[in-house]
Amino acid sequence: MNRNKLQKILVLLVTLALLINTSAATCNIVIITDPTGKDPNGAAAGSMSFATNMFQSTFIMSKENHFAVLSGGEGNSTPRLAAIVETIKRLNNGATASEAASAASSYSGIRVMTGGPTIGAAVGGSFDAYVVTVDNNGTITATPVSGGLATLPAGQKGAIIHLRNTHGNPQYGTAETVRQETAVMIGKMIRDGYPSTEILGAAMEKVAKESGEKYGGGGDNLVSSLTTGDMFTPSKMNTTGYPMDEEYSKECPTCGWSVAYPAAENYQTCPYDGTALKTIYAYDALADKLTVTSNSTLVSVYGTDAAGVYETTEELVDYSVKKNGYNSTAIATTINNAINNGNLVGVNYVEPKDINVVESTRAVGVYYKALPEGRTSPSWELPISSSVLDIVGSIQTAIGLILIILVLFRSSLINSFLKRRR
Amino acid sequence: MFIKVRRDTLIILMLAFILITSGRLMSYMSYASSNGTENGVAISGVIVKGNDIVPTESIKTNIANVGFRSGSYIQGDTLITSKRKVPLNEALENARQAAMLSTLPGTTVAPIKAVDVKLDKNTGILTVNVVEDFSTVQVNQTSG
Repeated sequence: MNRNKLQKILVLLVTLALLINTSAATCNIVIITDPTGKDPNGAAAGSMSFATNMFQSTFIMSKENHFAVLSGGEGNSTPRLAAIVETIKRLNNGATASEAASAASSYSGIRVMTGGPTIGAAVGGSFDAYVVTVDNNGTITATPVSGGLATLPAGQKGAIIHLRNTHGNPQYGTAETVRQETAVMIGKMIRDGYPSTEILGAAMEKVAKESGEKYGGGGDNLVSSLTTGDMFTPSKMNTTGYPMDEEYSKECPTCGWSVAYPAAENYQTCPYDGTALKTIYAYDALADKLTVTSNSTLVSVYGTDAAGVYETTEELVDYSVKKNGYNSTAIATTINNAINNGNLVGVNYVEPKDINVVESTRAVGVYYKALPEGRTSPSWELPISSSVLDIVGSIQTAIGLILIILVLFRSSLINSFLKRRR
Repeated sequence: MFIKVRRDTLIILMLAFILITSGRLMSYMSYASSNGTENGVAISGVIVKGNDIVPTESIKTNIANVGFRSGSYIQGDTLITSKRKVPLNEALENARQAAMLSTLPGTTVAPIKAVDVKLDKNTGILTVNVVEDFSTVQVNQTSG
């Protein structure tokens, strides 16, 4: 009898707690696997939610100071923005993660999570999180924290994960267990030496599938300053982003050809070599986008915004680097060959000086000159000037047309000519 | 044969055909070998420098909205877009203003405080240098 009452009270308390904690229900994760900041995949951060409006403002990244500021997309936006701006302000002035995140406590119902490879990570304001630390001897500690300020100290390997269910989520009520399980999984993966970006992908997969807080959002690689940008964010106000547990694209494992959903539904095999296509899920795409691998090259394209030029150039530079190393002459030759073949259209030939190679960071910048007025290939080098050709061409066309007219009226013309002579 | 054509008629027609084809081909060659700058220099790209937190894409979109986008071109001191003609110095000032209005995506926070816009008239490349400053950002307290 007494026990029954206690259970009822417990249920009531849980319901109350859930109702109170409805603001800013989102998943925010910061993972630091290399606190020295040397590993290019040593720190990552990401946000997603069941709710709408998970724009890039929910996973802001500083490219120069290497920190991220995460928040929820919903809730009263003015105090949220004020908290974000205050946090960024503090971080730009060299504050530690905990000093910066404490900015959130001055705004009620707001949560801000922040972190960077060398400044540690922290979450402040209204939250339900686990702080995971992994010692060098492999001990994993996962501490539940809610509200106030929670810190992962600088120089410590570990992670912070915040997760709450949004109202209306069909998997409402799963946040508690998923938060704990994901925290433990992150801890184990950090111990086993996975890069932070891959852990972020795995954690997002688990959260998206099991707790339903699945719409992007996106993530950042804080050391190499890579971001998923608007890959998964909503395209309009008050809509949700891309579901992180769904198929994102299909890719050919042998030649690298790929196609994005929904068009990918029509493809089962690669149109070039017929191999079965591999399905890439959104969480894989996120990890792929953020992870820097030892053989990948960072390609930047300047001088043209034409569609497809960046992607083609990336492939060409990759190919050239694999074959000839970081040699600007070889890269220029490869690009010029592609222009000749018609694989790369709308740009003029490049010279080795138009290619900026930084071997230490595996970065290649290509400065193109776009062709005017929708031309697809560069102008021809002919010995005769183009105006002469133009005039001769027009005269020939005219003579040809006159000949046709003469032939059509041939008999009548000959007749009248003969008559006149008589 | 249903239609009777005399052989010399056929030869003349053939000659006319060859003349017209080669004439058209030459016109195309003259088009292909000209460098196409007689109609102005096209805006070939926008390079954004100095932004830290505001994504490059946001700034590029704003710059494109004031006319510096693919399809626009410069003729003398005028920028000609698909919508209208603008004097170049006015267009550059517009671009400067537009870059200042770039926000964090999804918010009204505009942290860009100073912008320098340079246009290379020979290549059509626009370089935008921006300075971000979060210490002076005002968050509008009235808008929800």
